[in-house]
Amino acid sequence: MANARLGRTEHIAGWTFIAPALVLLGIFMLYPILWSLWMSFQVGKGMNFSFGGFANIIRLTKDPVFIRALVNTLTFLVVQVPIMIGLALLAAVALNDPKLRFRGFFRTAIFLPCVTSLIAYSTLFKSMFATDGIVNKMLMGLWIIQEPIHWLQDPFWAKILIIIAITWRWTGYNMVFYLAALQNVDRSIYEAARIDGASGWHRFWYITVPMLKPVILFTTIISTIGTLQLFDEVNNITQGGPSDSTLTLSLYIYNLTFKFMPSFGYSATVSWVIVLLVAVLSFAQFVIARDRSK
Amino acid sequence: MSSNTSGWRHALAIAAAAGVSMLTMTAAMAVDVTVWAWDTNFNGAAMKEAASRYAPSHPDVNIKIDDSMQQEDIRQKLQTQLLAGDTTGLPDIVLIQDDVAQKYLQSFPGAFVPLSDSIDMTQFAPYKVAAATHDGKSYSLPFDSGVTGLFYRADYLKEAGYEADALQDLTWDKFIQIGKDVKAKTGHNLIALDLNGSGLIRVMMQSAGAWYFNADGTLNIVDNKPLKAALETYAKIWQADIVKPASGWTEFTGAFTSGETAVALNGVWMTGTIKSQPDQAGKWGVAPIPKLEGVEGATGYSNEGGSSWYVLSSGAGKDAAVDFLKSVWATDVDFYQKILVGQGAFSTWLPASAGEAYKASDDFFGGQPVWANFSEWQAKIPAIDYGIYTAEVDSAVVAQLPTVVKGGSVDEALKAINDQASQQMQ
Amino acid sequence: MTDQALPLATSRAEPRTGSFKVPHYVGRAITYLLLSLAAFVSIFPFFWMVVGATNRSVDIGIGKATFGDQLLVNATNFFTTVDAPRIFWNSAFIALVGTVLTLAISSLAGYGFEMFRSRFRERIFGLMLLLLSIPFAALMVPLFVMISQFKLVGTVAAVVLPGIASIFIIFYFRQATKAFPGELRDAARVDGLNEWQIFFYIYLPTMRSTYAAAIIIVFMANWNNYLWPLIVLNKPEQKTATLVISSLTSSYTPDFGMILFGTILATLPTLIIFFLLQRRFVEGMLGAVK
Repeated sequence: MANARLGRTEHIAGWTFIAPALVLLGIFMLYPILWSLWMSFQVGKGMNFSFGGFANIIRLTKDPVFIRALVNTLTFLVVQVPIMIGLALLAAVALNDPKLRFRGFFRTAIFLPCVTSLIAYSTLFKSMFATDGIVNKMLMGLWIIQEPIHWLQDPFWAKILIIIAITWRWTGYNMVFYLAALQNVDRSIYEAARIDGASGWHRFWYITVPMLKPVILFTTIISTIGTLQLFDEVNNITQGGPSDSTLTLSLYIYNLTFKFMPSFGYSATVSWVIVLLVAVLSFAQFVIARDRSK
Repeated sequence: MSSNTSGWRHALAIAAAAGVSMLTMTAAMAVDVTVWAWDTNFNGAAMKEAASRYAPSHPDVNIKIDDSMQQEDIRQKLQTQLLAGDTTGLPDIVLIQDDVAQKYLQSFPGAFVPLSDSIDMTQFAPYKVAAATHDGKSYSLPFDSGVTGLFYRADYLKEAGYEADALQDLTWDKFIQIGKDVKAKTGHNLIALDLNGSGLIRVMMQSAGAWYFNADGTLNIVDNKPLKAALETYAKIWQADIVKPASGWTEFTGAFTSGETAVALNGVWMTGTIKSQPDQAGKWGVAPIPKLEGVEGATGYSNEGGSSWYVLSSGAGKDAAVDFLKSVWATDVDFYQKILVGQGAFSTWLPASAGEAYKASDDFFGGQPVWANFSEWQAKIPAIDYGIYTAEVDSAVVAQLPTVVKGGSVDEALKAINDQASQQMQ
Repeated sequence: MTDQALPLATSRAEPRTGSFKVPHYVGRAITYLLLSLAAFVSIFPFFWMVVGATNRSVDIGIGKATFGDQLLVNATNFFTTVDAPRIFWNSAFIALVGTVLTLAISSLAGYGFEMFRSRFRERIFGLMLLLLSIPFAALMVPLFVMISQFKLVGTVAAVVLPGIASIFIIFYFRQATKAFPGELRDAARVDGLNEWQIFFYIYLPTMRSTYAAAIIIVFMANWNNYLWPLIVLNKPEQKTATLVISSLTSSYTPDFGMILFGTILATLPTLIIFFLLQRRFVEGMLGAVK
């Protein structure tokens, strides 16, 4: 139907606008991707590889490290993305109140983490969350904990630390998307709901969330992809440890390629698992979003 | 690069004008030798010292040192470029840690120059030469030693009732006992350990002449007695409540530089870090490491880390690079004294220990002849073959450490390490 | 810290089922409290970075939280250890070239995908989104092989070219273009402008805020880029600030006071860009989500 509306000149114009990007993507993305797809059927180490059919896929199912990386990655996804989206939404709703004072300050402060440099971020988190670090000192000073938490040595707390780190860095980023979208929501709807006696929570859940659904979907997909590719944090803060508790699929791919005897075929196979997951999850998110709207 | 080509043009112009063929000769022979190292204050600085010694007699060789990379960065660049078959961006000389060297030598045959063809390898510590030997040829110019020592705070130990004599011929049980006494008397933990690394396990295993593999390269885990003893000992140390858990390098080194823990058990390269706190001068001592009990071949000598220089056969400056390594790194006793004093770089070129600096005693360590001791211990380190899968097995070992220190079965851990490692080695 | 904010924050839900209504001012006070906590948590690491840069390495290791007197020492060490003007110039040059090209190519494509929809182009767009999900670590080696065949290794082009057709930025501009009023375009057509003139004379000025937001995101990504520049840049004089400063951490004896001083400098450019553009930033995001 879209075709019908476009004239011939427009059709050509449409291609000219996207052509530079398509050419570049074709060169710098499509070729490496096809290469990795072909590699995922090869077995061997270093430069010596041969066709292995589905050998790599069979190897996946028997590889305890892959299973660990997969479970960790999915854990981060299931726990971290909802927390971050939820916090970002709440912050956006709070900051959307025109009567609130210091809005600019709060907004800037909460957004600030995402413009920090990666080196600063990883160096700081490692030192702040050291056993004798400032975070433990503060928590103990506030009587929240009695003993210092071994953030980087305990498999459980290391996961929590990574979740805190990603949440710290990206909540403000997502918040700004919601804040922007909220400006489109007609205030009179809220007023009407308030007069009808709807509580703040009701207004949030039954008005704000549905109105923001397209943005929430957009940010959820972007965050899902980001979390499934999680690399920077775990590589720089925990190196995947302790005991592989923060090893992610992306870090495992990196290890297979650069740390271990290079095993390209297998690492390519692991990366296609991520593509598959994104495809399935994005599809599921679209379907869920569609169901809700009925 | 650009300054170089303009110099070359300049030289050509002069040569053409003057008609002197000699000038063109030297200009044409002028060669760049690039070097990759990873620590500005340590191996980078040592290389700069070497270059400055070579420069006066070789004005035609321009040695360029890049030490603005992390060690992982160098590995990654090396691996990517060798895999892609594009060596234009690679240096002439690269520093590689001994335990990963075989991986490169065997994955990329022909990529490195066999230095044993032109340099006498018998003058280097045998365990270093062994690490870089493949198919009968040795490929590295061995650089720093990783000979281990037990660095201890003599003042803390004295308070707990231990004099220096008590630290000779230690066993690990005795080590743990000292830890408990130190903690009881001074309140200080004995040692900082990082569950994210297998360093101490490897040190213990090598002290008994073992590694993760059999001579034919197959896995040796489940029946590896030194490894089993090492894991059991490691668990005992943790369970004795004398460990400060540390994560990452800063926290790890911070534990003893801040005076929190009483000992550091590391390679000789740690000396520089320990001496970085001038206010602790005279309070430190060094002893050989404890021995594994009931294990055949157990010694108090081992190795941790250490790296060596490799020459890439694709480099335009490879001949000059070999000559440079040979005429400084395998000849100059005085050079080794300089980098020992300046950078704390402990040589694996055996004649170096005849120099003055190696005989000197050190007031920081209460007047002990530290370097002479390390030289003596270095000669006794059991040589082992790192194989090509050390990184894979390391990560399998690290995966089991939290369970082991909590009292989990060591036999089961060994089995799990074996399973994971054999899976990874496919 | 952040993990606590959540249970506290959801406690706002209580009035939903509670039989009494919380007075208005209590809710307001809780809002301020939580926002202040969030602001504190967000800003604290920056404060910590500045404190660290004034202390000795050993003090940072043990969590000293007060200002020290080592700032000058750390700064001097930093400037003598690294060639600061060069590495920051390299970073800035790469980030600027990367940002300009990315915005040009990707905004054109985003505009094109939204303005000239066709079924085939929609399919391409869907496929692109899927490509976005392949981790970079998996593509690095084949990409390097290609760059080396193009004889680009060691050039700025090698660093920026693979990133300038950014699927994410194309996606972002496509969303933003949905807010571009169709009447403007129609009016321009009546005036006889061709499609490219419409883009340059009408769309560009109208979407300034969208571009401002994109500049922040793209500049940040380019400035922080690590893995790829590491692989393709080989000469020390080409290294970026991100590469060189993080190499300082791998020393046997890392000087964390000096490193934190360096990280402050490395963070400043993105902060400056953000503060320069922040007025337009939210407006820009607004466009993207209409």
